[in-house]
Amino acid sequence: MSALDVRDLRVVYRRKGEPDRIALDGFSLESDNEMLALLGPNGAGKSTLMGVIAQTISPDSGERVSPASRHGLSIVFQTPALDQLLTVRENLQISGALHGIPKGEIESRVAALSDELMISDRLDEQVRHLSGGLARRADLARALIPHPTMLLLDEPTSGLDIDARRSFWESMRHIRTQLGMTVLLATHLIDEAERADRVAMISDGRCVAIDSPARLRDALGERVLRIHTVTPEQIKPAMSWVRSLGAIPHRIDQIIIVPDAQSIEIQSCPIEGIGLTIAPPTLEDAYSIRTNEGTLI
Amino acid sequence: MSGFGAMNALAKRELVRQTRQPSRIIASVATPLMLWVFIVGGFSNAMGKVAGDETSLTAYTIPGMASLTVMFASIFASISLIQDRHDGVLRAALISPAPKWSIAMSKIGAGSIIALIQAMIVLLALPFLGVTLTPVGILGAIGALLCISVALIGVGLAMAWIVDSTQGFHGVMNSLLMPMWLLSGAIFPVEDAAGWMRVIALLNPLTWSHAAMRDALGMSDAFNPILAWGVSAGFALFGAALGIWAISRSSKP
Repeated sequence: MSALDVRDLRVVYRRKGEPDRIALDGFSLESDNEMLALLGPNGAGKSTLMGVIAQTISPDSGERVSPASRHGLSIVFQTPALDQLLTVRENLQISGALHGIPKGEIESRVAALSDELMISDRLDEQVRHLSGGLARRADLARALIPHPTMLLLDEPTSGLDIDARRSFWESMRHIRTQLGMTVLLATHLIDEAERADRVAMISDGRCVAIDSPARLRDALGERVLRIHTVTPEQIKPAMSWVRSLGAIPHRIDQIIIVPDAQSIEIQSCPIEGIGLTIAPPTLEDAYSIRTNEGTLI
Repeated sequence: MSGFGAMNALAKRELVRQTRQPSRIIASVATPLMLWVFIVGGFSNAMGKVAGDETSLTAYTIPGMASLTVMFASIFASISLIQDRHDGVLRAALISPAPKWSIAMSKIGAGSIIALIQAMIVLLALPFLGVTLTPVGILGAIGALLCISVALIGVGLAMAWIVDSTQGFHGVMNSLLMPMWLLSGAIFPVEDAAGWMRVIALLNPLTWSHAAMRDALGMSDAFNPILAWGVSAGFALFGAALGIWAISRSSKP
């Protein structure tokens, strides 16, 4: 059985005086012993899916086959789930107690994880005195205390600067190697999704594509052409020009993306005043074409 | 897992937080004490003796001020649930294998300890006002105040969970708890009140908790003590059950 197996999930938010909002719409996903990124903009349904997996949200229909219980499940939220008035050590001890770990075992795990995450010299400081990056690593330690078999990361680096983000992912890489677990990462950041073994692209509560980052990119050919139009009047002739070359244009707002564009010569474009770039495809190109959405923010 | 380890850890957390926020203790005790000064300063000459001419208004209102202290402490204990649920430790607790009752009971247990300590500070005024504190009286007062705190924290947790906003919570609790306290014999004897008010007061469980406390302290025997303790214990059980039920419900954000 896979560590994660959810089938045909549907979650609808109903609020008085507001139209119903479908957060998940027939969503199925399976994952085991890998890092799977859920890539999508805010409101796509990533956090709702995390809530269903963590059993804090009951789906209107569909089935959560696994994880069947909360045992072995842990989560890192968008902001640290740490008590600011408590020390790092006290927070980690609470996490251990919540998972029913014996006291002696908690202490040895606190020592090992704080060493691994380089926070052992800050264990007895109150969390409110830590920097954002250190608090985030302490929060990761909090989530890892139960040695989870499935770790949910819900936009875990939001609000962190570049150095702190790099440090977080370096720590994650070490920990994954040691503990071996299924990691589900919700993100709207392309560079974070690139770190995953597989990427599930989510739009409007549906999974529109799932594969390794390399395969998702390679599906667009060796090169893609990106046409940046300046005025709306430029879009129609630009689309016509691409079609005249036998290629398929994908319009996303003011940008046109053309996959398999290795044979296109951009000098032949008859439209003036537009930006043309031809380059290897990115995960963002793949996401834009699959979802018809230009931005992930 | 049994849940007791989780409950103890979360309760300990609440107590440690309290020691690191002394302003909360001061706020909870200072407000009732100020109110008491204003009430007795303003009305004691006008009202004279109460409760069968045996107790001054100054002393009579002290149990009521103790329960008001418990009420404020209970509001603090339950309102923290709202922030905790969205930004704090509770998010991790709610997806842990720990049973939900352990989360509710940690709030009720730790909140009650904090409330009792603060209320006992208020009750220490009684010997200076002519009321002798006996061991039985102290134990009885602790029991009655414990019933009040368990009930109010439980109800508060349920309200905090359902209302889910600090502004809404304050509105609901103020419109529920302040009238409840005022109509409970906290600052005047229920038996001397107008007929309609006496009926409302008798339907108010806080009235019976005050009666139980005053009976234990030897300040009034106007109510049947068995009935007073029965209603107080029932109110506590109801509040605790309501708090556990509310937190045990799954939700959509």
